[in-house]
Amino acid sequence: MIRLEYVEVQYGRKPAALSIDELDIKSGERVAIIGPSGAGKSTLLRTIKGYVRPTQGKVEVMGVNFMSARRRDRRRVNRRIGLVYQQFHLVRRLTVLQNVLCGRLGITNRWRSLLGWFSDEDRRVAWSAICEVGLRDQVHQRSDQLSGGEQQRVAVARVLAQQPAIILADEPVSSVDPAWAEDVLELITQVQRRHQATLVMSLHQPNLACRFADRIIGLRKGRVVIDDDAAKVTEAHLKELYRGDASLPFNGATGRPRADQSRTA
Amino acid sequence: MPPAVPGRTNRVLLRIAVGTFVLALLVWSWFGTEVSVTHLLSSGPRIADFLDRMLPPDLTWTTIQEAKLAGEVPPPPRPFPPPLRIAATVVGVTLQIALLGTALGMVAALVLGLLGAENLTPHWVHHPIKIALALLRSIPVIILALLFVAALGLGPLPGVLAIAIHSIGMLGKLFAEECETADAGVWEAMDSAGSNWFQKVRYATWPQVAPQVFSLTLFRLDMNLRESAVLGLVGVAGLGLWIENYRRAFDYQSVATMVIVTMLLVLVVDQTSVYIRRRLK
Repeated sequence: MIRLEYVEVQYGRKPAALSIDELDIKSGERVAIIGPSGAGKSTLLRTIKGYVRPTQGKVEVMGVNFMSARRRDRRRVNRRIGLVYQQFHLVRRLTVLQNVLCGRLGITNRWRSLLGWFSDEDRRVAWSAICEVGLRDQVHQRSDQLSGGEQQRVAVARVLAQQPAIILADEPVSSVDPAWAEDVLELITQVQRRHQATLVMSLHQPNLACRFADRIIGLRKGRVVIDDDAAKVTEAHLKELYRGDASLPFNGATGRPRADQSRTA
Repeated sequence: MPPAVPGRTNRVLLRIAVGTFVLALLVWSWFGTEVSVTHLLSSGPRIADFLDRMLPPDLTWTTIQEAKLAGEVPPPPRPFPPPLRIAATVVGVTLQIALLGTALGMVAALVLGLLGAENLTPHWVHHPIKIALALLRSIPVIILALLFVAALGLGPLPGVLAIAIHSIGMLGKLFAEECETADAGVWEAMDSAGSNWFQKVRYATWPQVAPQVFSLTLFRLDMNLRESAVLGLVGVAGLGLWIENYRRAFDYQSVATMVIVTMLLVLVVDQTSVYIRRRLK
């Protein structure tokens, strides 16, 4: 589904922001990218989306090689990749329904959509997406009146309306109240499973990553240092990954009880 | 002892230089315009005389012919009909010129504003448009009107065009700046859904800038109304033209009436626009 070969991304003359020899993500996989700030998590996601053009290497998504494909093919793939952002990026003054309908813009009749006209199918898809994220009652509310967690649900519904083959989520819960973070991740993984999409998300909290993903990719300074099943990632791995990054509490970072917890408590 | 704050370059000299420069500018303006307090004070009687000729404002409604037909004592003869009569028909023209000019200007400014926003179009598109907008707004409305009156003749049309063109320049610039402050993330989210440029403008930019676009347009309407009243001085139809007519006939009482009517019109539109703009927020 997603294949990166010898990819190198460089911004200006700084050292490579991303440097990956080989990365393969299969259809339907659920991958979490973790790592300290500035490790290249967002860059990796944006490379997969095609927003970042590697300085060298090969990026192949859904059988289309971004480096050599024609514009039309790139656009076709781009439309099947949904993005969930840390800051939601909803249109504040529009209602939930209108926001979700925006996910249909790449599919519906383009000229009619400029007049605010969407087909019955667009509306049906949007409505079922809204029901799926549990915002049935707020469908006509303005999106800026919703809570952070609800807004992220709208963003997820918008991505669903796009009928994506791949869902990319860039720190989807970093702006959400911690109490709601698990709900949002629960929702994202649920819809991913139901729609048989491939999910790649970057997360700041390793414990959430291990709980909600099957596969963990750990990035450090643009390089893959962990790539393993979530169940096999250990505390030692994480300590090595976040070495020198004091921002993370390590107690129970994998979400599994630590052997020495009784002693630290 | 705690370490000293690292020193900052001394700005005193700079301040003295700027202050001297501003002061020099003001002195230059003072002598250039030959402002004289004694002259102002000694003109007291002349000002009083002028006010005396303006007051009270002429509020008659009946014309000489009507008074004669009704058998009343006719008012003293004069070159123009009573000012309230004129105002009743001409207030509309002044307002119409402002409305039409603002509307035309807004539509064109919206197109040029979008094309002139740095985040929406490539440099070779927005750069020339920005220059064109600067040129358009560099010409004062009254000078534009003077040119259009010369080219198109008297009447409301030159006023509408003059106001429209100046408004394109002003509003276009403000709209472009508004678009530039719009959240880029929404734009990317729309792109991510596969939207084309027009869809992105419609769904990412427009909802973010729409309230400001209307608010700025109303504000411009306000200013254009004042402009529209002034344009009579160069021959555009409306209140200004009649103020000028009465003044030329030394009918200062009627001038006073027309000035009052102009003030009322501007105040009413001003307050309405304030009210609407508050609701737009």
